[in-house]
Amino acid sequence: MNAQSSLKRIDGISDDDLAVLMKIAQAGDTEAYTQLLQEVTIRLRRIVRRCRSFLTNEDIEDLVQDILLSLHSVRATYDPRRPFMPWLLAITRNRLADGARRYARTSIREVQTDCLDVTFAREHANKTEDVFGKEELKNAIDGLPAAQRTAVEMLKLREMSLKEASAVSGMSIGALKVATHRAMIALRKILMKTHEPKY
Amino acid sequence: MSQSTENLIQKLAHNSVPIRPLARPWIRAAGWLVLSGIYLAIVLTLMKGHGLPAKWDDLRFILEQVSALAVGFVAAVAAFATIVPGHDRSRLAILLIPLAGWLGTVGEGCIHSLIQLGPRALLLEHDLVCFPFIALSGAVPAIFMALMLRQGAPLTPRLTAGLGALAAAGLANFFLRLFHPEDVTLMLLLWHVGGVFVLSALAASGGRYMLNWPSATRAFENTAR
Repeated sequence: MNAQSSLKRIDGISDDDLAVLMKIAQAGDTEAYTQLLQEVTIRLRRIVRRCRSFLTNEDIEDLVQDILLSLHSVRATYDPRRPFMPWLLAITRNRLADGARRYARTSIREVQTDCLDVTFAREHANKTEDVFGKEELKNAIDGLPAAQRTAVEMLKLREMSLKEASAVSGMSIGALKVATHRAMIALRKILMKTHEPKY
Repeated sequence: MSQSTENLIQKLAHNSVPIRPLARPWIRAAGWLVLSGIYLAIVLTLMKGHGLPAKWDDLRFILEQVSALAVGFVAAVAAFATIVPGHDRSRLAILLIPLAGWLGTVGEGCIHSLIQLGPRALLLEHDLVCFPFIALSGAVPAIFMALMLRQGAPLTPRLTAGLGALAAAGLANFFLRLFHPEDVTLMLLLWHVGGVFVLSALAASGGRYMLNWPSATRAFENTAR
């Protein structure tokens, strides 16, 4: 990755300016840190897009956020006497390689299968119309506690990712997972009470 | 800028507190050496009278000890350098100098013993206490080292853990030889030097469990996302 040279070419703010911002940020200046992260994000997005051009925008954004979190967690390792960009690029390269390894590991475990129609011998099991009426489902969701309702609406109805739902709702990813799990159990109980399945 | 990334930036900036940049690797290594030295000095005081006095009049023994201590210190510097993003990895090769000195003095001692003792020098009758002793006396320095390494970036977990363990085990070996100063034989090479490298290899193989990005970022991930 020949990122360092291209970075100097792209952006107005220099490496020295970033180093100064980081130094001030290490001292606890919130504004300087916000400005630094915003400047860095623009650069990171370009680097990630160039190195991982096959990824979707969402995946690129996930990687950028991972790098920002990594930068934040090890910001004490930055020595203000040294240039900023080599420090940032070392973290970026490492996180990109880490992401690629993670992708390779998970793709090994995944098995590609054809999407086959699922049919059963009993006629009731092959109904294509809704088993539960939309109105009943809506009422059941409305009856859920607020956190569970929010989780179901965002993750199941609006099909948002966990990160997006977390950003919008302000709930942590763990809390969203728990709320969704509990909501699905609650919905199953509510709907089973009114509709005894015939299969 | 996507909304979620902008939110993340705001939360990270909002939650940031003033931090002190980590000291340079050699300063941290010196701090670690002093801390571990105090612990080992206490253990040495408690063990007084349990071993043989060190052979400070033997030049080869002195060279071996200086080299072993240098291996511990330089390995610690190297370990602390690997957790700083952007460090120059080629500088890690400096470790080869004290390592060559240490292996050279021990190796030369082996050859000397072989000439003097003949086949008896090859007998592997050395007591097995050396290996666990290196591990136990190196355990506390290793814990100090692990805690200090976790403050940095887990860029090369295996290399970092291996170097950290080499530093701790090298220091423990230096300490062990202070009251275990037998003649250098193949047994010493096997149990002492071999023990140090086995422990380093074990630590390196498990480095990813101790040093990894998920554990480094977890605390911030929960508050920021």
